[in-house]
Amino acid sequence: MDLSPVIDGFGVVLEPANLLYCLIGVVIGMVIGVLPGLGPAATIAILLPVTIGLEPVTSIIMLAGIFYGAQYGGTITSVLLRLPGEASSVVTVFDGYALARQGKAGTALGIAAIGSFFGGTVSIVALSLLAPLVAGVALDFGPPEYTALALLGILLVSTVSSGHRLKAVIAACLGLLLATVGRDGFTGAERFTFDNLSLADGLDFVPIAMGLFGLGEILHNLEERHRATPAPVAVANVWPAKADLKQSSGAIGRGSALGFVLGILPGGGATLASLAAYALEKRRAKEPERFGRGAVEGVAAPETANNAAATSSFIPLLTLGIPANATMAVIFGALLIHGVSPGPQLVTQEPELFWGVVNSMYIGNILLLIMSIPLVGLFVKILRVRATLLAPITVLITLIGVYTVNNDVFDIVLVIVFGAVGYLMKKFGFDPGPLVLAFVLGSLLEDSLRRSLLIFDGDPTGFLTRPISGVLLAIFVLVALLPPVRAALSRRRARQP
Amino acid sequence: MTGNNGVTRWAAASLALGLALSTTACGGNLGSGANSGAQDFPGGQPVTIYVGQDPGGSTDLIARALAKGVSDDLGVAVTVENKPGANGALAAKELAGKKPDGHTLMVYNGSLAYITPLAVPPGEAIDIAGYEIITGISQDDYVLVTAPSSGMATVEDLKKAGRPITYGTTGVGTGSQLSQALLFAQTGVTATPVPFDGGSPTLTAVLGGQVDVGSIQLGEAIEQIKAGKLKPIVTFAEKRPSYLPDTPTAVEQGYTIPVQQSRAIFAPKGTPQSVQDRLRASFQKAFGAADYKKFNEDNQLTPNEVDGTKLREQWTASLDGYRKVVDQFKITLGKK
Repeated sequence: MDLSPVIDGFGVVLEPANLLYCLIGVVIGMVIGVLPGLGPAATIAILLPVTIGLEPVTSIIMLAGIFYGAQYGGTITSVLLRLPGEASSVVTVFDGYALARQGKAGTALGIAAIGSFFGGTVSIVALSLLAPLVAGVALDFGPPEYTALALLGILLVSTVSSGHRLKAVIAACLGLLLATVGRDGFTGAERFTFDNLSLADGLDFVPIAMGLFGLGEILHNLEERHRATPAPVAVANVWPAKADLKQSSGAIGRGSALGFVLGILPGGGATLASLAAYALEKRRAKEPERFGRGAVEGVAAPETANNAAATSSFIPLLTLGIPANATMAVIFGALLIHGVSPGPQLVTQEPELFWGVVNSMYIGNILLLIMSIPLVGLFVKILRVRATLLAPITVLITLIGVYTVNNDVFDIVLVIVFGAVGYLMKKFGFDPGPLVLAFVLGSLLEDSLRRSLLIFDGDPTGFLTRPISGVLLAIFVLVALLPPVRAALSRRRARQP
Repeated sequence: MTGNNGVTRWAAASLALGLALSTTACGGNLGSGANSGAQDFPGGQPVTIYVGQDPGGSTDLIARALAKGVSDDLGVAVTVENKPGANGALAAKELAGKKPDGHTLMVYNGSLAYITPLAVPPGEAIDIAGYEIITGISQDDYVLVTAPSSGMATVEDLKKAGRPITYGTTGVGTGSQLSQALLFAQTGVTATPVPFDGGSPTLTAVLGGQVDVGSIQLGEAIEQIKAGKLKPIVTFAEKRPSYLPDTPTAVEQGYTIPVQQSRAIFAPKGTPQSVQDRLRASFQKAFGAADYKKFNEDNQLTPNEVDGTKLREQWTASLDGYRKVVDQFKITLGKK
């Protein structure tokens, strides 16, 4: 393995501007992690236009920092206030708050920070090792391989996600439908454009993401009644005792592995990883009744896993161009704005960008580890910022921001429409994530499928005779068959006495 | 590059702010400015150049390379504004609705003028008769490339392949598609077009052997050609571009109709002749600058700095010529 691009990547990170934006990113990430409601996908969507003026590598470093920074921030309020700032920190509440009430808030935060750091680092190392392997076969990735990948991605997105399965499938179908808008790239025929030139190239991803995640989430939050913030528990002695560390080391190790794997899977991501890691520890524990009453493993496992997953979900995006979750879809949009198309070519064509972003995560995690403990008090104060103040400012930034991307007033209309759609989806319990992911993957699927068939001269068996697409399709079949088979097995097991 | 873009954006924003302030300062003066004739042009008012493509693409780079020189000569700010969409048609439509006072211009792509009309339904094509043409800018050549592993190096090899050829194009209604469709129709090679989304994905597909050949703008392919990763078969230029002296042109090999991307500065219909002349002079000055000449060389662009009348002739002739051969060989570029 040639290490020079990796080293050059560190050179990129250590440029003062990139260091600064890495810091800005992780601080914003921690802040929105603390604030319940505004998640990383929404924040990154709203900030997309801000990055236009930056170098591509700088902007992705910042946006990535927001994503993994939010995983740290979400912990703080979970532990101190029993108020999960992020969905991925919901399970941390159980044992984190219990620990805090026993006067061990410092221990919980310390363990969470160490676990997050460890999980994140494991994922970065694995990402660094995996990416060049993918790059080696980059040129073998043609339209047939992308077809298979997109199929697999859409299947996973609509089945693996942590919410209601049928609703996820409905949202994904809507996304596929939206992806068909625009001039047909193969025949030039107009589809659903209503003679509007702004629709000729299809719906733009950025206003959709900004509307669904940004505006939709703000509108939905306004409706939630804001309960008074309880006084936070005092934090003392953040460095966990040796016994606590020893007790949670297993959980941190398993959480890293589990988080890494679940982060890579499309539809997975930080929230699912934290839930799974918590469940795993509880199942393995000798005294499961300790969980919920202040078990350090109950904090260590989900916090490690969510950070490992946050980092590893960059792998499918940066190596294959397939976003694994909603936040990655938004970062995908950010790359497109900068004229970078993510895919197997990225590592070789844009080594500075790739390694710059990957290596910035080491720095970002170190910054977070250093900052998270001493600044706890400051972050808790952020909760006092009133939503009545925050919401209008954010809406204004969103509307101005989306215009600056294409200088097209029509995009403002789109943001408002998708903001309303996003609000309604949230209200009726639909996750907009599968919609956005299916929208991105839908265009990829259609274009690749039609290109493949042109290349194969119309013969679909071509998909099976090419090694990579053949294997991917086999995995597709396995994944599709897994749930019914498992259901059948568990039925049989239930029948046995 | 994108950094510069940001700088200009901020510059544009502060400029707009300054403009707003100055407008309030000089009261009703602004309304009469547009009609007061060319003596006043540009009259301290900024000029905006639309680009119908994304920032960072070749059209955008050309606009930005020229903006500075023109700005220096006119003594006012010249801002490049990207309005990507529908292959530039979106920006062209918007330009047509602007006041014909010389303060809004556009870098217009030749493909939109003489290739898109062959691919889209008649009502949708934009007629260049609806615009004033200030000046031609430069031409970009297409080169037919293949991966060395394909074992093909000449048009003869393609003919002898004995199987249908797949060719990658940069999209429907592009010079990339037209150039290859014409070549294969004239050589009698059975070939299937595989449209990709722009130059870079097409290049990747050729490199990886996903398609046999592809027609790509010279500037985008030159590095891979020099590195030996792509083999140039023919260029579709009128005569051999100086950047690729050893590659024959399709014309040399006996095939008619060269296909090039060409770019020009357009203004809304009705822009006063004196304003047009003033602008043309400014662009002439910008063309002469040493760093602009170097920019052309670095990007494998061939200057085509003709006046508006000449350019209109060139593009109209191209459209008529293409229409004739496309009908003759029954080539369909898109859905009619």
